[in-house]
Amino acid sequence: MNILNDWPSFLPGLLAGLGVSVQVALLSLLIGVPGGLLLAIGAGSKKKLVRTLIIGIVEIGRGTPALVVLQIFYFGLPASGLTLSSIGASVVALAATTAAYTSEILRGGLQSVPQGEVEAAGALGMSRGDTLRFIVIPQGFRVAIPSLIGFAILIFQATSLAYTVALPELLSQAYSIGSTTFNYLSVLVLAGLMYAAITIPASWLTCRAEKRLARHL
Amino acid sequence: MPPHMQQKPLTKPMAIQLDSVAKKYGDHTVLNNVSLSVREGEVTAMIGPSGAGKSTLLRCINLLERPDTGCITVEGSQIDAGTNFTAKDLAALRRNVGMVFQSFNLFPHLNVLRNVSIAQERVLGRPRKEADARSMKLLERVGLADKAKQYPSRCSGGQQQRIAIARALALDPRVMLFDEPTSALDPEVGLEVLAVMKELAAEGMTMVVVTHEMQFARDVCDHLVVMANGSIIEEGDPERIFTNPVQPRTREFLRAVLER
Repeated sequence: MNILNDWPSFLPGLLAGLGVSVQVALLSLLIGVPGGLLLAIGAGSKKKLVRTLIIGIVEIGRGTPALVVLQIFYFGLPASGLTLSSIGASVVALAATTAAYTSEILRGGLQSVPQGEVEAAGALGMSRGDTLRFIVIPQGFRVAIPSLIGFAILIFQATSLAYTVALPELLSQAYSIGSTTFNYLSVLVLAGLMYAAITIPASWLTCRAEKRLARHL
Repeated sequence: MPPHMQQKPLTKPMAIQLDSVAKKYGDHTVLNNVSLSVREGEVTAMIGPSGAGKSTLLRCINLLERPDTGCITVEGSQIDAGTNFTAKDLAALRRNVGMVFQSFNLFPHLNVLRNVSIAQERVLGRPRKEADARSMKLLERVGLADKAKQYPSRCSGGQQQRIAIARALALDPRVMLFDEPTSALDPEVGLEVLAVMKELAAEGMTMVVVTHEMQFARDVCDHLVVMANGSIIEEGDPERIFTNPVQPRTREFLRAVLER
């Protein structure tokens, strides 16, 4: 097959792009998931004002398409004096989306921890913070991990949106190779396979994680 | 004072004192100005039909349930439920109170030893080694030292409840509260938990036990409290109440539980 013959020559450019995509995805998750955890804890606050405010932020974050958030950070913010590089804007935008979505995933996880255990910790004299740190978060996180891995896969795919802000990630590399060789089909198929080469093993990991984490529960 | 309300002579100091504790859920009165005193070293059983407010009253003692009004004193720490109190006040009161629940409520992600040690480390600031040594002593005492490295899900219900007792004792409480500790266990397994509780009672621990175990209430307890409809309807010497209940509602309840 002819299209396969071109692949070796595409590989270096695409691999560099893949590296950027993975980097953006990891950074977004590294910032976004702890953000999501904070939002999830805040959403369970006893103070109604805090709760309402946080649920509002989460709903706006989840309701706005990641592409729009990205465009706002890259093209919109310079108007207010804050200019981000394309990688900066991509990471910030995807991290914000990650925080909003994972806060709901983590909130579900935290709520799955039986109230009786929280009471037991309280009866033992443990502070609210300690109860969260040692009892609720470790268990809630475990419950949430399979869904978090699923979301991480989506965010990895969503890094292709950064193509619109001229970040040299996998899709833009493929596109630029395509525009010079006119072999769009061949290079895009290869790029697609490279996305799949990451996401498919990652979803296997989800199954393994589900089994492993259910051990003591 | 009517004869059925008579109390023991004032020998030992009060460990727990509840004054006019009241709680409502909407229109439903759960506790109707209940007052209760428990002396040091005394074992008090609370019995009565379900929905009487026994568990709620017990949970008011360490404020897992916050009453609308009323004053709670445990080992010198006092909280007036009607006013605002701080987390510090609450911690001071809970410091002296251990609690055992119907559903054990062990932490399933921690092994048995960590379950017993964690609060010692976080609440008392005991170093891990010291906490673990204390935990092992207590686990030995409830006969479960060999389970230390297991996870709670690998233990039977009776074992889990004994671990829960060890976990509560690890903080050196002066008062232990038991909320139907054997109700989730089959009768035979319940015995091993009751045996541990009897030992504790014999050692002079102040205990309040909500229970349906009439034999335990009769044989082990010093004081019996009968509740119905959010009030204490009768209290006093267990033997006296079991053989000669004064209140018709008490008689009815005891007939239902004893003559089945």
